[in-house]
Formats: sequence, structure tokens, C-alpha cells
Amino acid sequence: MLPDRKGKFGIFGGRFAPETLIGPLEELEREYKKISKKREFREKLNYLLKEYAGRPTPLYFAESFSKQIGFKVYLKREDLAFTGAHKINNTLGQVLLAKMMGKTRIIAETGAGQHGVATATACALLNMECVVYMGEIDLERQKLNVYRMNLLGAKVVPVKSGSKTLKDAINEAMRDWIANFKTTHYVIGSVVGPHPYPMIVRNFQSVIGKETKKQILKKEKKLPDYLIACVGGGSNSIGLFYPFFKYKEVKFIGVEAGGIGLNTDKHAATLSKGEKGILHGSFSYVLQDRYGQIKVTHSVSAGLDYPGVGPEHSFYKEIGRAEYFAVDDKTALEGFHILSELEGIIPALEPSHAIGWLLKNKRRFKKEDIVIVCLSGRGDKDVVEVAKIEGKL
Amino acid sequence: MTDIEKKFKELKEKKEKALILYFTAGFPSFKESIEIIKKSAEKGTDIIEIGIPFSDPIADGPIIQYTSAKALENGINTDRCFQLIQILKNEVKIPYLFMTYFNPVYKYGIEKFADKCFKSGVSGLIIPDLPYEESFEIRKILKERNINLIYFLTPFTSENRMKKIIKKANGFIYFISVAGVTGPRESLSQEAIDIIKKIKNETEIPVVIGFGISNKEQIKQIKEYVDGIIIGSFFLQKIIDCKIKEMEELIIEFKEELKCK
Repeated sequence: MLPDRKGKFGIFGGRFAPETLIGPLEELEREYKKISKKREFREKLNYLLKEYAGRPTPLYFAESFSKQIGFKVYLKREDLAFTGAHKINNTLGQVLLAKMMGKTRIIAETGAGQHGVATATACALLNMECVVYMGEIDLERQKLNVYRMNLLGAKVVPVKSGSKTLKDAINEAMRDWIANFKTTHYVIGSVVGPHPYPMIVRNFQSVIGKETKKQILKKEKKLPDYLIACVGGGSNSIGLFYPFFKYKEVKFIGVEAGGIGLNTDKHAATLSKGEKGILHGSFSYVLQDRYGQIKVTHSVSAGLDYPGVGPEHSFYKEIGRAEYFAVDDKTALEGFHILSELEGIIPALEPSHAIGWLLKNKRRFKKEDIVIVCLSGRGDKDVVEVAKIEGKL
Repeated sequence: MTDIEKKFKELKEKKEKALILYFTAGFPSFKESIEIIKKSAEKGTDIIEIGIPFSDPIADGPIIQYTSAKALENGINTDRCFQLIQILKNEVKIPYLFMTYFNPVYKYGIEKFADKCFKSGVSGLIIPDLPYEESFEIRKILKERNINLIYFLTPFTSENRMKKIIKKANGFIYFISVAGVTGPRESLSQEAIDIIKKIKNETEIPVVIGFGISNKEQIKQIKEYVDGIIIGSFFLQKIIDCKIKEMEELIIEFKEELKCK
């Protein structure tokens, strides 16, 4: 069972954190192990996922899209989870955990704003104080989500340091946690950070894959051939992949943000173009320069705009369990449009990368293949941005 | 024995406590940082800690974030930091430490980094995001080159873990007195003092205290319990405010206070 006792997935992961955080991380690991086994916790979380977040989400057979592309494509409809993305699976779990640990204050970082909204939602529901760190640039491109968080009673703190995006919001949230861990739990939004975060977030997101497995077996009487998901930090993809890990016949494909193009400096394709290194507490692939300074990334989608990636993905890459590709902004926008037109589903720009990749690579597949794409979020948050890019606003 | 260990021995004989100052390499500029460090060494600093700036310094507060970002903008990099220390080492012969995050060291190549430290006369390395569990390989590589790897302890380190870290500690133990990132603070807690006493009971290795020191009263309060103090953000703020003269006077004043009778 991975991660091992040191929080490693093979050589990746670990706990590269300041000494001040080691105690709190040990406490979190201990408490998570204890509380997540408790019946009271599991029943409450299952209740909330079902009655509040609307799970299970459908596994929808995208008939028109399948016809167009030439093989069967199912969409795991995380866009229909409450708050519009898969993020709620993790935040309900972590905020409930924090509450049972006796914490009274929650902090979080957010890029696209989806994790911030999902955290603020869980905090409103479970009556916890909530502070969300958000890079100034992201704040500007996701104004509506900032207002949503405010409505939910959260305080959104603009982060002005570094590249003013997701990575800097994580830095700032970690600094807050270093100072306030006695009362505060830090809800990381992806499968990144020091151990035990990649494990905890994966476990809470695994509900995606567990449901998918049941649903596809019911519909097709067999396991799928491919699972495809976008990868920023990598939480929706790990959530989908992990429960299928031991079924070697099910192939995993992760799609990263190629930005303007992989031959430029403006992308966020960490597994495709990065090198091994340490960022935000874990050893994984990182986009960095020759001196180990972290690079500033670019993607049309704020949720994928991150120079690191979850250590478990690096492990999957290393052992060949998953393949990772990147598509550029333009291809993602094509995915965004085609799903809107053919299925009446406006996807978020993040999973639009997975759809776009599928369009571009349809020749890799046979017509009897069954492909499942994780539609990790809905596109409402991106409509204004896309309209701007396309000169329609 | 490393230069750092020699220095502590010498100070102990003189019944003095160490004044360790942190400066960000390349801030405000490459040349000015050399001048500032030289002057502070001449005013009585015992050991100089030089920060190799990192783009994502999670353990640092706003002041060191600012100086690091500026220095990177000005074109500082790891090779330039080695140059900087070589220049300093030729002019002012006191022990020098490097402080940086693990990624720049890892990317440079741990052995190559250690070799360069040895050649340019660095006698210690501080890596705030390298935990005890991951430190053994690099500790060994550094030890072979007579360089200390400095370990941290905090009031929140468990007793069991504290024992393990003390066993591996070398050069000195860096005690972080408060929860939080670097930056000036008002006072030191009784809790922190109690833990320092406990550490001192268990080891001969010098214990220095950092995070939040900014005035003589704090030094007076703490000096009998520790072997030295580290000041970073407080003096960097003086540099940001162009108050170099004031900084120099304070260095003299603080060092006087540390010559405890």
C-alpha cells in the first residue's frame, strides 16, 4: 500500500517541510488514520456526499460525441457535483476531519477558485471560520468565484508575492499554517504538499473512481479500456485512476496544460517537460530553471496553471502505469466548444484539455474501445474568459 | 573541526555568545551585499549566514521574501553566490554558512554543491525544508568535506524526535523560538526558554535561537540560556530602509550585550 511510512510513492513524495510543520503534519497523519476509520466519520461523510453534494454523479454515455469520434466515450459527471466540480469531495472530507480534530479555523489556497468555493461551502455548512488565499492574477480572472466565496462567509486574501498565482497562494497558506496550526487546519486542494496530504486528498477523491467502476460494470459488464483526465496538481485524475490501479488492462492517460506550446516557456506541462525536484513539501516533477528556481507557468485554465504535480503521478509515470501528454490552449478551447455543441455540456477549461486531447488523438483508439473521461468541472466559471479570448465580449 | 565549531569553542573560552547575522546574497545588489556583509563582520558579527535566494521560500516572512525576489530579479544565482562567498572569505576571515531551500541544492547536484561549498570556504549549510528523515545522505556528503549540516528544533518538536535530532546535530542547533515564519516579534515565551533548558541538558552542542529577535531586551532575556542568536529580517529591514549606519551601531550594541559577564 502506497505511500509507505515515509510518505513515499517509490522515490516520490515525502515530507520536505520546515521543522515547525513536522509536528502538525504528524498530528494530521495520526488523526486522519484514527478518525477516518471511525463509523461516525464515515457515516457523516457518506451522508453529506449523497444528500448535500449530490453523489453519486452520473456516468453519462456521450452518444453524439462518441459517434463523431468513432468509439464509446463516457463522461464521469463531476461537473454535476455540488459547487460544480470534484473539489467538494475533498473539502467535505477534510473540513469534517478538521472539525473532529477540534480545529476551529480553516485555510485554503485556490487557483481557479473552485477549491476555494468548495472549501468555503464546506465551512459554511460545518460552521468553521474560513480564509482562502488566492493569487492576485487569478483573483482578477475569476472574480465571480471571489464573490461566491464572500457570499459563503469566507475571507479571500489576495496574494501579491511571486507569480501571484496558485503556487504563491500555496506558499502563503503554508506560512499561515506554520503560524496558526494549533487552531487551524490547512485544506490543500490537490494531491500535492507534504505527506500525508497527497494520500488524504487521493483517498477523499477516490470516490470518483469507485463510483465509476460500479457504474461501468453495470452499463458495459466490463472494465473500461482507457481512463482519461486532466492533470494540474492531479486530484481529479488520481481520484479516477487510483481505484483501477490494480487492473492493468485499464490504461491511464493524463492530459496537462500545454499553454501556448511545449516549445515555449508558456505552459504548465510538469510531467511532460519538468524535472525532478522539491516543491511545496514533496519530491516530484517540477518546472524549474537550471538553478532550481521554480518557473512561472501559463495556461488558459487557472486550475492547471501550476509548476508542480502530485507525487503519485510522478510515480505512475516512472513505473509506466500512466501516460501523460499535453495539449495547448487552442486544443482545449476546441474541446470546450465541441462538448458544448454536441452534448449540451459546457465543460470547465480544465477537462476541456482531456476532451481536446481525445479529439486530436482519436486515431489511437479502436472502435470497440470504451473510454471514460473525467469531466471534472462545469464551464460556467470560464464562459466570460473564453468570450474575452475569442473577442466576443 | 569546522570553522563554526572552532568559533563556538573560542567564544566559550571568552565567555561570549555568538552573534550570527543573515543576509540575502545579491540584495540590494551583488556589490552592495558584499560591502554590507563585510562591514557587519568588522563590527563584531561572529558568523555570517548567507541566503541563496529561492523563488518559493515557504518558511520565510514578507521581508526575506522581498529581498529574495529582488535579488533574483537582479540576476543572482547559485554560482554567483559561490563567487560572493569567495570574495568575502578572502577579505574577512570568519565562518560562513549558506542558507537555502532544498530544491536549489538538489538541482545543482548535492555532491557538486558540497564540493563548491568546500572550495569556497563555506563551513555550514542550513536547509529549512530538509527534514531530519531526509538528511542523512547530504549530512554524510557534507561531513566528508568538513561542513556542518545544521538541524532545527522548535517548541513543537516531539520529545522522541528531539532526541533523534540532537544525536545527529552538528555545528550548532538552530532553535526556532516561535510558531510562524521569519520576521521580527516582541517577546520570547517562558515555554521556549524551558525547552531550550531541556535541550541544553541533553547536549554539548551549541544552541542558537532565531526567528523574531529585534532588540537588546530580548537578548538580555535569552542570552544566559543559549550559545548564540541569529538575526535576519530585522537587519534586512534596515537595509531596505537604507539605514546601514543604524544597523552597524546596533550590531556593536548587540555584540556588547552578548559578551555576558
